[in-house]
Amino acid sequence: MPSHLIRLSIILFMLQGCTSVTIDEYHANEDVGITHDERVVVLGRRHSSDYETEPDLVSCIGGVLADQNDVIEVIPERQFVDALYPWFEPRTAPMRVKDMNRLLSREDIAKTINSYNIRYIIWVDGNTETTSSSGSIGCSIGAGGAGCFGFGTWDKESDYEASVWDYQELENLGQISADASGTSYMPAIVVPIPIIAQVQKNACKAMGLQLRNFLNPQAAVVN
Amino acid sequence: MNLVTKVALLALLSTLWGCTNNLHVKGELPSPLISPIEQSMGVLYDDEFRHYVYTEQSEDRGKWIIDNGDAQVQLFEQVMPKLFKHVEVITELPSAELPATTDLVIHPKVTDFQYSVPRETKFKIFEVWIKYNLTVYDAHGQLIADWIATAYGKTPTAFMQSNEEAMNAAIIVALRDLGANLSIGALRVPEIKAWLDKLPAQPSSSAAPANQQARAED
Repeated sequence: MPSHLIRLSIILFMLQGCTSVTIDEYHANEDVGITHDERVVVLGRRHSSDYETEPDLVSCIGGVLADQNDVIEVIPERQFVDALYPWFEPRTAPMRVKDMNRLLSREDIAKTINSYNIRYIIWVDGNTETTSSSGSIGCSIGAGGAGCFGFGTWDKESDYEASVWDYQELENLGQISADASGTSYMPAIVVPIPIIAQVQKNACKAMGLQLRNFLNPQAAVVN
Repeated sequence: MNLVTKVALLALLSTLWGCTNNLHVKGELPSPLISPIEQSMGVLYDDEFRHYVYTEQSEDRGKWIIDNGDAQVQLFEQVMPKLFKHVEVITELPSAELPATTDLVIHPKVTDFQYSVPRETKFKIFEVWIKYNLTVYDAHGQLIADWIATAYGKTPTAFMQSNEEAMNAAIIVALRDLGANLSIGALRVPEIKAWLDKLPAQPSSSAAPANQQARAED
């Protein structure tokens, strides 16, 4: 293969499909803040029958929340849910903040949650799905070599909503929604070259940053 | 048999083996955070339950062989000691002549196992439903309750995750669901509740956990 074709392939490989993200924020209470010894847990909603909030998305949001600041400490979802099993499973998890009162009437549950020094519980609901796809790529192999030819494209959409519960005050502080969409392309001229739109990753980053500013607005002003 | 024939035969065998999804379910199941009931429980795991294997019989579906015996026994071994004050594994059902040494005996059986894969549903989700029949007896072998407990689990198809790994994850979620059902639902089964209510009132905190668990779930 000529060297300029190799260079072109590398450049195309490094390209990423474009993604657009829209963030909406609703504050039910302006009095939001977090101190050094308080912690946050990000949990995924898993009660819907036709989709599942992806665990890797939940973990990604937690990572963005805890990144580049020394105030917000995030408890991993799995650790929290296992410690409180079976009270945060899909069929038993509290759907509204006032449902927490029922759970906290049990001393062992209250004691376990308190041991994590939780200030905020963030529930993330939604998923990313492929909404449409078109095109085709054909590959063949023969005595002279192998190769692919064609063009494929597909659209992905993410739709997530995060609800922030103040565990200490037992109230809903607000919601943040992130809608993201993007188109990925895969041209194939001998070699398939994927140009992938990182829809879920961008939705995660946008929501994580917005949540970080939501919980720690002082840091957002300083930055 | 020359080398080319051997290689071709090996390739053919590996292709055929590749068409079958063989799964031995494995995973971590947490201990439930519940208060134990004061009574003791004997658990009878028969061979069918211990070595439960689901084999897909339909010609229209992909071939699945799912060995879920160890995982479901592991789930019961995690949940039962937290649900009852004392738990024993027994080898046969009690009778009037040979009563059990425990207050109650439970005999779990799998009565149905169903699944769906993304190719069938068009959703990128593996789903599993398992139906259990939990027969509860008193120490003299008298039937107390025939409890049908269901378990449901689903998991998204993660990037680069094999079908076996995705199905394993869905079954582990289903077993967690069964554990939640057992932990919280045992005291809500009318026949078990009625049997417990008939017992003489226990001193100390024996009634508190049952009440608390029911209240937290309501």
